[in-house]
Amino acid sequence: MSVAEYVYDQDKVSKLLSTIIRNNGNEKANTWLQQRLQLQQQTGAIPQFNQTFTAIPRFTGKEIIKVSAEENELLQQLLPSFFVHGWTLDRLVRVWWLLQLPVTDKSAYLGVLENLFNAAEMNELAALYSALPLLPWPEEWTGRTSEGIRSNIGIVQEAIMLHNPYPAKYLSEPAWNQLVMKAIFTDKPLHLITGLDERANAALVAILVDFAHERWAAGRTLDPMQWRILVNFVNDDNFADITRIWHSLNSVEKEAAALVCAQCNYAPAKALLATSPELQAETENGRLTWEVLAQKIIK
Amino acid sequence: MCGIHDLTEKDLQPLTYSPAYLNKIKGMRFFDPHVHMTARTTDDYQAMADAGVVAIIEPAFWLGQPRTGVDTFRDYFSSLLGWERFRASQFGIKHYCTIGLNSKEANNEKLAEAVMEILPQFIYKEGVVGVGEIGFDDQTPLEEKYYRAQLELAKEAGLPVQIHTPHRDKKKGTQRSMDIALEHGLEPHMIIVDHNNEETVKEVLDRGFWAAFTIYPFTKMGNERMVAVVKQYGSERIMVNSAADWGISDPLAVPKTAALMHESGIDLNDIHLVTYTNAVKAFAQSGQINEADFDVAANIDQSEKFNGSSILRGGQQPRIDKNTTIIR
Repeated sequence: MSVAEYVYDQDKVSKLLSTIIRNNGNEKANTWLQQRLQLQQQTGAIPQFNQTFTAIPRFTGKEIIKVSAEENELLQQLLPSFFVHGWTLDRLVRVWWLLQLPVTDKSAYLGVLENLFNAAEMNELAALYSALPLLPWPEEWTGRTSEGIRSNIGIVQEAIMLHNPYPAKYLSEPAWNQLVMKAIFTDKPLHLITGLDERANAALVAILVDFAHERWAAGRTLDPMQWRILVNFVNDDNFADITRIWHSLNSVEKEAAALVCAQCNYAPAKALLATSPELQAETENGRLTWEVLAQKIIK
Repeated sequence: MCGIHDLTEKDLQPLTYSPAYLNKIKGMRFFDPHVHMTARTTDDYQAMADAGVVAIIEPAFWLGQPRTGVDTFRDYFSSLLGWERFRASQFGIKHYCTIGLNSKEANNEKLAEAVMEILPQFIYKEGVVGVGEIGFDDQTPLEEKYYRAQLELAKEAGLPVQIHTPHRDKKKGTQRSMDIALEHGLEPHMIIVDHNNEETVKEVLDRGFWAAFTIYPFTKMGNERMVAVVKQYGSERIMVNSAADWGISDPLAVPKTAALMHESGIDLNDIHLVTYTNAVKAFAQSGQINEADFDVAANIDQSEKFNGSSILRGGQQPRIDKNTTIIR
C-alpha cells in the first residue's frame, strides 16, 4: 500500500490504533476483526468492506476506550491534536478500518467514502467525521466537512467541531467561520474547538459582534467564551461591547471581559482592566484563564 | 433546536399540568413498537416521554405522497437512522426502526426493483430491529412478489419481520401473509403480525405468531376493545402500539391503553407484558436491542467525553409552557 497519499505516517498510526484496539477489545472481537482484515486483503471486495464498517459495533461493543499515557504520547507525536480520548471502541475500530482501504485508485477511494457517508446512520457518521484528520488527500474533504457542519445531529456536529484538528487546518475562512457560529448556535463547549484562537479572524469577529447585538436586542444571553475570539481584534469599534460585558452583573461575563483586556493589545482595554486590581491580578497569576472560565459555564 | 439557552433544572422538569390518566400509570415504562415519528412534532415526543414511553420502533412505510425515485427512499431510510434517532434522543427516548419496502409502493415495479437493491445497505445498520412494515395492501401479485423477496432478506439477515396486514379483506390477507412466511421457512416467533382485530387474533396466536394491535381511532382498534381482547386472550405474545402517523392518531395510545387496562382491573404484570416486555422480546431477536440503552438514550459518547454532569444532559430540550400566551 502506498502511503504517499497520506500526510502523516499512516503505517505507524494504523499500527498504533491497532494496538489500542487489541488492548480494549475482547478476544472474540479481535479475532473477528483479524478475519475481516484478512478477507479484505485477499479479496479487496467493497461490499465486504462496507458491511464490516456497518457491523463493527455488533462485535466490538461500545465501551469507552482506555488509552495508556505512552500510547497517547506516541499518537500526539504522530498526529498532533488528534484526539481519541473518550471514544467508544466501535468508533475507534471504524476509523482504523477506513485506514485499511487501499489508496491505489483515488477516484475509486473517493467513491467508496462518498457511498459510506451517504448511507451512514448516526454513529457511522460520527465515526466518518472523526476520521477526517486521518484520511488521504486531505484537501478532498472540505466540502464534506461543510456538509457535516450543516447537520442537525448533535454527535455528528461534535465529531467535526470538537477535538478535531482537520477543520482548522483545511477549511477556508468562510467555512471555518460557519463552523464556529454553528457551534455557538448549538451550545457547544467552544474551548474544545481545535484551532479556535489560531483561526480567529476579522470577519468572524464582525459576525460575532453583530450576533451579540442581536442577542442583546432580543433580551437573550451569550456564551461568554465567544469573546475569547476577539482577543487579537479589539479596536475602537468593538471596545464598547467589551466594556458592556465588563459591567455585566454576570461574573463569568465580567471575567471574560477581563481576560480579553489582559490578552489584547488595545491600550484603553488595559486601562479598563486596571480599574479592578483584583481581576487584573487573577489574570496575571493564572488563577483566571479561559479554561477556568470554561469550567464555570454550565452546558 | 433551542439555540443558546441556559438550561436550569426547572426547564427539564415535566409540566405541572398532567392529565388524570397519567396518575394511573405513574412509574410505568412503555415501549411503542410501531409509531411514525417523522410525521410527529416535538410536542409529541415530550408528551410520550412524560407518559413513560422509553423506547419506540419506527417502521419504514409510505409517506402519503407516492415516491417517484429511489433516492427519496434512500434519504427516508437515512433519516430513520439519523435525524429522527437524534430527535428522539433529545427527549430521552430510544429510537429503533424497521426497514423495508411498504406494500403500497411495491406496486410501482421499476421503483420497487431499485429499492430492493439498496435495502441490504440498510438492514444491517445499528438499531435496525427488523424488516418492516411489509405485507399486503391491495393483495396484488406485485405486492406478493416483493413481500416474498423481503422475507428472504429477513431470513438471511436473521431479523424479525413486522407485517402490515391490509385494511380491506383483512382476515384473508392476514392468513395469506402468515402462510407465505411459513412457506419461506420463517419461524412464527420471528414474525410480528400487526394491526390485528377481534377477527384475526385467534388464528395468529394459535399459529404461534406475535399479535400486535394498533390503537388508532376510527379505522383500527379502540382501547376499550383492546381491554376486552386482553381479558379474553391473556397477555402472551400480544403487544399494543399506536402506529401514530400523519393521520388523526394518538402517539400516547400505548400509555392510555395501559391506564384503561389498569382501571379495568387487568393485572399489572399483564399490562407490562403487552405494553413493554413482549415487544422488547420480539424485536430483541434482532440482537439490536439492549434495554440498558433505554436509560442512557441521550448519548453515551457525549456524557463520557466531557466528564461532568454538564454534558450528560447534552442535547436535552428545555420545556416550554404551552398554557401561556407568552413565547420567549
